[in-house]
Amino acid sequence: MSIGHALLGLLEGGPRHGYDLKRAYDERFGQDRPLHYGQVYSTLSRLLKNGFVTEAGVEAGDGPERKRYAITDAGVTDVERWLSTPEKPEPYLQNTLYAKVVLALLSGRSATEVLDAQRAAHLTTMRELTRRKADGDLADQLICDFALFHLEADLRWLELTAARLDQLAAEVAR
Amino acid sequence: MNRTLRPSVLGDLTLGVRLAVGGSRKSWVRLALQGVGIGLGVALLLFAASLPNVLDGRSDRVAGREMVTEGSGPAPLLVEDDFLAFRVDYIGGYYLNPRTPDAPVPPGVDRLPGDGEIFVSPALARLLAEPRGELLRPRFPQKVVGTIGQAGLENPSELQFYAGDTKIKDTSAGVYGWGVPHRRGGLDPMLWLLSVVGLVVLLFPVAVFVGVATRLAAAQRDRRLAALRLVGAAASRVRLIASGESLAGALAGLVVGFGIFFAVRPFVDRISIAELSAFPDEVMPTPVLTLTVIVAVPVLAVVTSLVAMRRTIIEPLGVVRDQKPVRRRLWWRLVPVAIGVALLVSQIGTFTRTEKPDEWPVVGGIVLLMLGIPVLLPWLVERVVFLVKGRTPALQLAVRRLQLDSGTAARVVGGVAVVLAGTVTLQMVLAGVEGEVQTREKKQSSFNYLTVTAKEGSDADGIAAALEKSRAVTALHRVEAAWGQVGTGGWVGLNIGPCAALTKQASIPDCRDGEVYAVRESTGRPAAQPGDVVTFRRSDAKWTVPPLEVVDAGSGTADLFVTPAAARGLVSSNSEFLAVLDSSVPDAVEHARNAIAGYTWQTYTYSPSGPYDGNEAERVFGVVRRALLTGSLLTLLVAAASLLVVALEQVRERRRPLAVMAASGVPRGTLARSLLWQNALPLAISTVVSLATGIGLGALVIRVFGAEVAFDWAGIGLITGIVVGLTFAVTALTLPSLRRATGALGLRTE
Amino acid sequence: MSLLRAEGLTKSFGRTHALDGAGITIREGEVVAVMGPSGSGKSTLLHCLAGILPPDSGTVHYRDHSGSDRELTSMNDGERSELRRTEFGFVFQFGQLVPELTCLENVALPLRLSGMKRKDAERAAKDWMARLEVDAVADQRPGETSGGQGQRVAVARALVTGPKVIFADEPTGALDSLNGERVMHLLTTAARETGAAVVLVTHEPRVAAYSDREVVVRDGRSRDVEFAR
Ligand SMILES: Nc1ncnc2c1ncn2[C@@H]1O[C@H](COP(=O)(O)OP(=O)(O)OP(=O)(O)O)[C@@H](O)[C@H]1O
Ligand SMILES: [Mg+2]
Repeated sequence: MSIGHALLGLLEGGPRHGYDLKRAYDERFGQDRPLHYGQVYSTLSRLLKNGFVTEAGVEAGDGPERKRYAITDAGVTDVERWLSTPEKPEPYLQNTLYAKVVLALLSGRSATEVLDAQRAAHLTTMRELTRRKADGDLADQLICDFALFHLEADLRWLELTAARLDQLAAEVAR
Repeated sequence: MNRTLRPSVLGDLTLGVRLAVGGSRKSWVRLALQGVGIGLGVALLLFAASLPNVLDGRSDRVAGREMVTEGSGPAPLLVEDDFLAFRVDYIGGYYLNPRTPDAPVPPGVDRLPGDGEIFVSPALARLLAEPRGELLRPRFPQKVVGTIGQAGLENPSELQFYAGDTKIKDTSAGVYGWGVPHRRGGLDPMLWLLSVVGLVVLLFPVAVFVGVATRLAAAQRDRRLAALRLVGAAASRVRLIASGESLAGALAGLVVGFGIFFAVRPFVDRISIAELSAFPDEVMPTPVLTLTVIVAVPVLAVVTSLVAMRRTIIEPLGVVRDQKPVRRRLWWRLVPVAIGVALLVSQIGTFTRTEKPDEWPVVGGIVLLMLGIPVLLPWLVERVVFLVKGRTPALQLAVRRLQLDSGTAARVVGGVAVVLAGTVTLQMVLAGVEGEVQTREKKQSSFNYLTVTAKEGSDADGIAAALEKSRAVTALHRVEAAWGQVGTGGWVGLNIGPCAALTKQASIPDCRDGEVYAVRESTGRPAAQPGDVVTFRRSDAKWTVPPLEVVDAGSGTADLFVTPAAARGLVSSNSEFLAVLDSSVPDAVEHARNAIAGYTWQTYTYSPSGPYDGNEAERVFGVVRRALLTGSLLTLLVAAASLLVVALEQVRERRRPLAVMAASGVPRGTLARSLLWQNALPLAISTVVSLATGIGLGALVIRVFGAEVAFDWAGIGLITGIVVGLTFAVTALTLPSLRRATGALGLRTE
Repeated sequence: MSLLRAEGLTKSFGRTHALDGAGITIREGEVVAVMGPSGSGKSTLLHCLAGILPPDSGTVHYRDHSGSDRELTSMNDGERSELRRTEFGFVFQFGQLVPELTCLENVALPLRLSGMKRKDAERAAKDWMARLEVDAVADQRPGETSGGQGQRVAVARALVTGPKVIFADEPTGALDSLNGERVMHLLTTAARETGAAVVLVTHEPRVAAYSDREVVVRDGRSRDVEFAR
């Protein structure tokens, strides 16, 4: 999952300093794996270098690291591209997809579109597998079926999430 | 595929028949059930359609044995016709005295009986041979030389004879031949009324049941047709296919019906009620009516199924969804009832004792009111079912089921309701008419005498002597009788005699010579008032009714009783003997009649204990009543059979849901009770409706005929009880099939 | 070029708005999966498309075999029935077979309804049953077959008239995965061979994977999700 896109998405709500960003990220996406400060700052400096964020002043305070960061137009475009590009259908995508859905909801974008795009991508892969299955031998069929069942599980999750978007939006907004 | 091929009507009909027959055991069973249901109705209709033939045959033969008394020259045959009374029966016959060898032979026998010989009808032969005919034998001392064939009998149970007797003299009727031009006598209005109500009551349910039988397994059929709609059969073609299905049932019903008819036909001459028995070869539906039955039954079947499935036709989605039924509307269902009541009300007061009311308004009104029941019931059942709260699971299941489809249940009980209503109507009409008859009968049977009228020129002294000698006779009086018409047109009978004779015939509290007594009629007034002028028959003499005393009970011999001192100026038409009977002697009447057995054709006897000599309607009354009640019981049985058929079909139709419920742990008892509720709820409603309709209709009809409204609560209760019992029986009979349906195999879909 | 095109369909049942401005375009020979949550109006959309259910408003255009454009919502019942009989085929979850008829007769039924002779109709039916590998149950009645066999019989019946569109509503809903896939494989293969389009309502992604593309229905509105092609 892309930490950079997640941080950019969080910055869309307004400029924050690094510590804030880590806290927001951990709250929403990091339940089982909180970010290290180091990760936050190295990611932020990469984003700075690429022009996706800018420094938006320094806060007076104790430590030296009270810089505030803001997202640039290029950054917004990058987030958008990321959100609307479905992930390559493969198992265990939930983390990334979940982050995308939450960030879409946070930034007022259509989470449904994110999910539909992903469904389409999944289905396309599944179609390919189904075609391969039809042409292949039994071994091919079994291998394809394995992948198909996993993709199907993902798709079911997508559908379930789609059905619960209203509920999720309410929670995210809290 | 060639898309230009034209679908054919015949093809669709055949497909329908194919669907009905289906090939599976189940569809055969269904077809058989339909066949039996419709068949019973068809058989009933065929018997009804034979009535004209039977009645025509009867009047033909009766006319055929009438004497031809006009002719030239001396008559070749001398005849005395006679009506012999024996207990409650009349025995009719001719005493014959041929004067030439080629004297005309009456119908039914191949030669004339010689002196002392007799031909008897089979029924009379049986009666004479039986112990109960013992007291009749002295009156037929002749040698029985044969039986009378069909040509000489009105019906197979008629008591009839031809006896040879050379004692008959020239003063008797001279006969030149047998058979007078055909004359079809109209029915007495009262009889006519009873027959109309009876026929409507009996035949209408048949129509309803034909309809019900074609609707068997309707839900399944609807689903099937919806499937056809889905694959692209247009509404009109589905109708054709459905017609084909109904047609298959109707045709099966016709076959079964004709089968039953011809199987039962040979036994119609065994019916012991004379008026109901008929010669088997005569029980043949008239061609027109046969054709009507053959056409009407399939048409009725097709029409009812088309009407009933008008909602299914639009919906190919029936395959996927159980549509919520459209709510039924009330107003048009009230139309037949309203018109029926209006028609009957408009006829109130048009009936007199001698005049028939216009038949169509009466028949139409009755039919419409009857029709109103099955039309109203579905609406009513639906309304009530929506109000009922399911307290127990069983009741809830039943109510919910009825809410989804109350139509089938309502239609089924609709048929029963018509029978019930009709029977109640009949009971009421009968009770109303019977009231009059019974009171008179009761009054009369308290008198114990026999009047003997000797024909002109007969040996009156000998008859008197024979009577006096009989140990059954305690006293003999001579009385004079006269018949006349009062100014207003009514007939009055007068009896002139001493108080000793008069008090035997009417309850005259204290009889004095010089008085005139009049019997109070059922109207409350006597037949003649003081001052009325009576014009006597034959003599045309006139007599003004003097002041008179009204008494309560008479025995039917006369309306006015005149003491000798008051009879001045009165011309009697004939004189009679009044033999007072010994009430300690059993069968005194028959003993007294046997005492004058030697004078059979010279005398005419009357006893208040019967047989009845009054109005034809009253005489046949008991017979008609029995016949109609038997008929409605039969129809009720047909109804119960149909109800059973439908109930079985319903269990089969709902096999899967029932099996699912049983499988998921719903106790069988609950399911059984829900079935009972399912039958009982509509039945209870229909019973209430039909009782109300029956009583209302009965009251209206009685009012139309101007009689007193009387309620035969016992009879109504009995019939209601029978209906309720039948429902329980029917539910009980469906339980085995419920058990089978809830078995493991029930879960499998068809 | 579009074969079947619906626009602005609305349909209400009492207070339920089953369809609320739904639209869909089906091209010749393509297999389209209609997906979406339960109660979203998929079946209703299918029924409107197939002329089984008249929509409250909106249009359904169909280009028939002669190439002329026909508007379903303005046709009368007889015309729609004929269209269903000659140009469309149906496969539902269950219940579409006539229980009284044998499987063979069921498959031959649409042909016979169109006036074909019994023998010819049954010969054609037999072919299709063989293709769907159910010729063994030809003389059995639907009640005597397994669910999978019954569905394949239904597919055979849907295909026997050589329809341009096959409407399938949860055709594998009552089947296990193996049987479901078999039905789908046979259905889509046969449809592609004959060039029939398939409108496939399903919940199951693996079944939807037999389609060329999918349409998502939500709250009575449909969205073509096409950009993934
Ligand atoms: N005949 C009907 N009467 C009343 N409501 C109906 C009827 N048909 C459909 N509905 C309602 O319309 C809505 C859409 O139904 P539809 O059957 O099209 O949904 P669906 O998407 O096919 O659902 P599922 O996936 O569960 O089959 C539902 O809310 C349903 O309750
Ligand atoms: Mg659906």
